[in-house]
Amino acid sequence: MSQLRIAGGTVYDPANGVDGEVRDVCIDAGRVVNEVPAGATRLDARGMIVMPGGVDIHAHVASGAVNVARRIMPETHDPALAPELVDGSVPRSGVDGTVPSTFTTGYRYAGLGYTTVFDAAVAPLMARQAHGQLDDTPIVDGGFFALLGNDEFLLRQIDAGERERAREYVAWMLGATGAYAIKVVNPGGVELWKRGARERTDLDTPLGSSRVTPRAILDTLVEAAVTLALPHAAHIHCNNLGLPGNASTTLATMQTLDGRRAHFTHLQFHSYGSAAGGGWRSAAREIIEYVNAHASISADVGQVMFGHAATLTADAPVEYLLHRSSGRKWANVDIELETGCGVVPHEYRERAAVAALQWAVGLELFLLARDPWRVVLSTDHPNGGSFMSYPQLIRLLMDRAYRDEQLRRVQPRLLAGSALAEGLDREYTLREVAIVTRAGPARILGLREKGHLGVGADADVTVYASDPDQARMFATPRYVVKSGVVVVEEGQLRRAPAGRRLHVRPPFDAAVTRTIRQHFDDYSTVRFANFPVSGLRDAASPLAPVGSPPEGR
Amino acid sequence: MTGTIVTENGTCLGCGCACDDIDVVVSAGRIAEARNACPLGRAWFGDGNVPLRCVVNARDVMPEEALRVATDRLSRAKRVLVYLAPGLSCEAQRAGTAIADLLGGVVDSATSATALHQTLASQERGFASSTLGEIRNRADVMLLWAVDLDRRYPRFSARYGPDAVGIFVPDGRRSRRVIAVDVGDAATGRVDTDRRFTVAPAAEVATLTALAGLVAHGSRAPTTSAPDGGTVWSVASDLAEILRAGRYVAFVYDAEPDERAARSNGRFDALAAVAQALNDTTRCAAVALRAGGNRSGADAILTAQTGYPMAVDFARGFPRYRPHDGSAFVRLRSREVDAVLVLGDAALIPPGVVEGMTDVASRVVVGPRASEFALGSDAAIDTGVPGIHSAGTALRTDDVPLPLRPCLSGPPSVDAVTAQLVELLAARGRRGVA
Repeated sequence: MSQLRIAGGTVYDPANGVDGEVRDVCIDAGRVVNEVPAGATRLDARGMIVMPGGVDIHAHVASGAVNVARRIMPETHDPALAPELVDGSVPRSGVDGTVPSTFTTGYRYAGLGYTTVFDAAVAPLMARQAHGQLDDTPIVDGGFFALLGNDEFLLRQIDAGERERAREYVAWMLGATGAYAIKVVNPGGVELWKRGARERTDLDTPLGSSRVTPRAILDTLVEAAVTLALPHAAHIHCNNLGLPGNASTTLATMQTLDGRRAHFTHLQFHSYGSAAGGGWRSAAREIIEYVNAHASISADVGQVMFGHAATLTADAPVEYLLHRSSGRKWANVDIELETGCGVVPHEYRERAAVAALQWAVGLELFLLARDPWRVVLSTDHPNGGSFMSYPQLIRLLMDRAYRDEQLRRVQPRLLAGSALAEGLDREYTLREVAIVTRAGPARILGLREKGHLGVGADADVTVYASDPDQARMFATPRYVVKSGVVVVEEGQLRRAPAGRRLHVRPPFDAAVTRTIRQHFDDYSTVRFANFPVSGLRDAASPLAPVGSPPEGR
Repeated sequence: MTGTIVTENGTCLGCGCACDDIDVVVSAGRIAEARNACPLGRAWFGDGNVPLRCVVNARDVMPEEALRVATDRLSRAKRVLVYLAPGLSCEAQRAGTAIADLLGGVVDSATSATALHQTLASQERGFASSTLGEIRNRADVMLLWAVDLDRRYPRFSARYGPDAVGIFVPDGRRSRRVIAVDVGDAATGRVDTDRRFTVAPAAEVATLTALAGLVAHGSRAPTTSAPDGGTVWSVASDLAEILRAGRYVAFVYDAEPDERAARSNGRFDALAAVAQALNDTTRCAAVALRAGGNRSGADAILTAQTGYPMAVDFARGFPRYRPHDGSAFVRLRSREVDAVLVLGDAALIPPGVVEGMTDVASRVVVGPRASEFALGSDAAIDTGVPGIHSAGTALRTDDVPLPLRPCLSGPPSVDAVTAQLVELLAARGRRGVA
C-alpha cells in the first residue's frame, strides 16, 4: 500500500494554485510524488472532490481540562462502538458526545477527513498527561500549545526587566514539555483570579508591580515567538473573553503588537461591543476590518454552533462567571505557578439572545474576512461546539439560503446593527473552504508539509463524493489517506495507525536552566529533574522555522 | 561505599502525595535507603526484593506458558473483570483498559470501593480545587477536615502546608491560620492548629450544609432545625467567619477515609459545596487526598479512554457507566464474573473486593508479588514494581503527572507483560457484543 494513485478527482489544492482541476495525486512512502508506476494501488476518484487532509489549528482534545470535562459530564456521553479495522491495530470503543474519549476522537477526526489536530491549551505541569492522551488518539498527527503568560517565573522575569531570560525560558519550556507553540490565555488575568480579583483585566492592569501587565506579558511572549523563529506565532486568547464590550480589549491587544506576527484565537468570543445599559452587540465588523488591514495578524473564528457544548479553558475566571450566571455545575483547578482550568457544561440555544448573537458574530467574521488564509475555521471544540459540527458550519458558509433559514429561527433581540442580520450574501467556494480548513491553518502553523498536495507534502488526502448538500459531503468522505495509508475506504474507517507528535525544540542558552532550577527548588512541588517529558513517540520534527508572516492572497 | 548507586529524584507511590524527591540508595542489589521518604515511603520501597515467578496452578512455569494460560482463561470466560489494582503505571492502566474493551468485560479500580461518593459528588456538582503547589504557595487559611495528615500523608505538611514555605506565605506555618475539624474517630491527629473543632459523625453533613449556606449567604442563610441545631450552627458560624476572612483557603480532606464515611454521599457533596461557595467571596481550593499506588491515574486513564472514571462495562461493545450497580464489588458479589484479571499489587485490593474474588472460576494475576496472592490463581506472573523496577508515569492525588524512575533492574515490567497480553488477546479477535 506504499504506492498509491488517487485518480481522476477534481483537486482543490489552493497552496499550489490548483482550483478544481481534474488530475491524479500520486503517493509513495507517505509523501506526495510526481508519479507512481502503473502497478500502484489506484483509488478511483472520478467525479469526486480531492483536498489535502484537514488541519485543526485549535481544539481541546488531550489536556487535563478535557479530562476534567469528560469526568464531570458523564451524562453527555453517547456510545461509540469500536470500528472494524483491518490493519491489525486494536479497535477501541469509547464515547461520542460533546467531549469524546481519546480513541474515538482520533477516529472521528479521521472520519471527517482531518489528519492534523492541535490541542490549544496544555498546562506545562500537565504535559506528560497530555502526551499520554495524544498517544491514545490514533491516526491524526498532532501536538499541543503550552500555556504561558500567567506563570510565576515569566512574570518575575518581566518584573526584573529580564526580557532575554524570559525568551530563553520560553525556549526551554517548549522543549521540556514537548509543545509546538506558545499559548497565551487571558495574560495576567488568571493569576489575578488566583489572587481573588473579580474585575475585568485591561492591558495595563498591574499584577502587583506596575511593570507586570497584560501588555508587557503579551509583548514578551509575542517577541519570544518571533525571535525564536517558531513555526507558529504566539497563539493569543485575549483578556475579557465572553464579556460585553470586550472588542475594545481585543483591538487594543492587536494594536499593541505593532505589526509583529500573532495569532488571535476564537476571535468570535472576543468581538462583542457594548450597548447602552451594559448590553451586548456585535463588534465583528470593527474587529475583522482591523484584521483585514493587518497582514501580520491571523485568527481562527471559534464559531458557536447551536446545541450542547462543554466550556473548558485555562481562563478560569470566565468559567466562574458562567457558573454563576447559568447555575450549571462547575469545576475549577488552579494549577500551581502556571495557569488555571475551569469547566462548565453549556448549551447554545437558538432562542437565547446571547447565543444567537455569538452565532451571528462568528459568521460575520467569516463572511467579512477578506483573506481566508488568515481567518480560518474552528469552533474552539468543544467550547463553541463539537468538531463534529464542522460540516454543518461549512454549509453555513457555502449556502446562503441555508444560513438565512437558520437566521430566521434565532432570537433577534441583540442582532440590531449586525451585518449578518442586515444581509451578507457571500458564499464560500470550495477553494475557500479548502483554505480555511487545511491550507490556511497549515500555513499559519508553519507546517510546510501539511495542507497541500505538492511534491514532498505529507500524503494526507481527503476525497469527498460530490453532494449538493455540503454538510453531508464534508461529513462523510469517501476516502481519507493519512501518511499514505488509506484509513477511510468507501466511507468506512478501516485503519488506525498511530499519528506523529508535532513539537519544537528551540535552542536556548543553558545558563537559564540554573535560574529555572532555583525557582523549582524554591517554590515548585515537582523536582526540576522530573518536569521535562522524554521518550515522545516521535523525535522533534525537523520543522523549518517560519519567521515571515503568512502572506495574503 | 563501593557498589552503591543512588537514583535521585525518585517518585514514591506510598501514598497519593507522590513525593518525587526520594533519593534511593541501592547497595548490593538491594535498596539500602530511601532518603527523604516518610515511614509509608520507606515501607513502599522496602528493600526492592520481589519474587520472580510465573505460576500456573501452583506450579512454576516459563513466562510463555503463564501467558498462554492467562490468555486462554480470559478469552474463554463469559464475563471478565479487569481490576486495576493500586501499583500500576498509567501505561499499564491504559493497556488494562484495552483488555476489558477487547473482551467485552468490566473494568474497575479501587476507586469504586474507597472513593465512590467523593467521585460521584464531583460529577454531580463539579469541584473547586487546585494542584497541591497552590496550597503550598498561596493558602493563608488551611482547613483540615477529618484528615489525619500525620498518619496517612506524613510529608503533606512539610511539602504542601501548613509547614511549607511559599510565595504568598513566606513564613510557612506562621503565615497561615490552621483549623482542624475532628469528626468522631476521624481525628486530624497531631497537627499544630490555631483552632480545633469537634463534630459528631451524625452532625457532620448538617454542619457542612450549614457552613455552605453561611459562606454563600452570610448571616442570611436559612437556619437549621436539627435537634442539635445549636451546636451545628455555632460550629458552622465560627468556621464561616474564619474561612471568609482567608485570602486563599485550602480545604483538605481525605477522599478515602474509613468505609463508613466513604459510603456517605451527602458528606462529599457538602464538602464540595462549601469549597465552591467560598469562591463567591474569596478563593478556595478543596483537595481530596488519595492513598498510594497511582489511584488517580486509574481514574484519569479510564476517563480518557472510556469517558468514565470507574465501574465501566463493555458488555454491549461500548463503555457504560455503572457506579451504583456495576462496581467490581457488586459484580463479584452477584457472581456474574467468571474470570478476573488483576493487574497491579493484589495485596492492595480493598478487602471487600478480594473477598468477592474467592469464588471466581478463573483468576489471573499480573503484578508485583502476583505469585503470593492470598487467594491463589490459575496463572500468576510476577513483575517488578513501577517506580522501583520499571519506568512509566503516575499521577499525584491532584492529577499532576510524574515520571517513575527505576532504581533496580531485573524483573519484567507490568507494562510490558500487560502489553503482551493485549497482543495475545487481540490476536483472538474482539469479543462479540453480548
